[in-house]
Amino acid sequence: MAKGPVKVRLYRFQNRLKDKCAGLGAGLASIDPKAMAEAEAALQKMSEDYPDWVSGLLMKMQEQHGRCVDTPENRKDLFEVINHIAHDMKGQGGTFGYPLITTFSDSLYGVTEMKTGIEDNHVELVKAHIDAMRAVIRGRVSGDGGDIGAQLTESLNKAIEKHVGAGQEQN
Amino acid sequence: MSEYDLERVTVLLAEDSQFIRSLLINSLKILGVGKVIAVEDGGQAIEFLQLVKEDPMKAQCQKVDILLSNWDMSPVDGMMFLRWVRRHKLSPDRYVPFIMITGYTEPKRIIEAREMGVTEMLAKPFTISNIAERLKSIIERPRQFVHNASYFGPDRRRQAVPFEGENRRFLTEKSDSVEIVRG
Repeated sequence: MAKGPVKVRLYRFQNRLKDKCAGLGAGLASIDPKAMAEAEAALQKMSEDYPDWVSGLLMKMQEQHGRCVDTPENRKDLFEVINHIAHDMKGQGGTFGYPLITTFSDSLYGVTEMKTGIEDNHVELVKAHIDAMRAVIRGRVSGDGGDIGAQLTESLNKAIEKHVGAGQEQN
Repeated sequence: MSEYDLERVTVLLAEDSQFIRSLLINSLKILGVGKVIAVEDGGQAIEFLQLVKEDPMKAQCQKVDILLSNWDMSPVDGMMFLRWVRRHKLSPDRYVPFIMITGYTEPKRIIEAREMGVTEMLAKPFTISNIAERLKSIIERPRQFVHNASYFGPDRRRQAVPFEGENRRFLTEKSDSVEIVRG
């Protein structure tokens, strides 16, 4: 019991969740290793659907890109939508064997962080990212992608250099 | 060592991406979690928690044991959801474990969530082991809750690690101005 004016309260509760999960045995427990293995296998199975999911998101991005071209006045909002999709995408690429999707969408996430001064070259750069990710999915380029992966990365880097470089000259 | 029986555990999952949502439902179910209720954003999650409080029969749920939420969702994102759970007067359980899933791994973001009272972070891309570790930590090592002028949430001091900087930890549980509430 506090003797003076209380500045801090510490709440210590009985571990009811553990009581709930204790099952038959008391003491140290763990998650069933068999269930873990099964869940890993299920995750593996789901990874087969991953390219379709990404394709769907790429189509959405493509649509937003088209709007950036048609309605330049809305670019700020459209970039925000693309930024969200890129964020969603970059999360799971590694889990499903497509680290290149994570790398490219992470880069696109960075590009679309800008809120002002969005020029045509930035919109072009969005397109370059969408194209690179399409190529990854179309070719099922998993892992680091070997030579194809290196080529895609290089051409995207060139596009970044070209478009961002051009943007800097304009500014 | 025995295995947890998660059959009576209920997880509320808020995730806007349908793909990740079904992935997580599937994984939790296989890991043995008895009930997984999935919603699409923080707003729906709040509505569900309120329904559980007001009408558990209709919600078909007596108590949500663990919250698992994506950070980046709209209209109500994971941080707003966390804030509501920890601070809102209508929140049915301000102490419920909250796992935040996020692709944001910048230290600034992690600290932001910690200061809002998150229990665990689950970074994307996640694996089954990552999920299982978070569940185990919540079941096995729940932290005391701290309430002071600037913070409410699980104790942020997880370990007694020697610290080189200025000592700002003046109060201990024996201090006059510290009250311990047990329940």
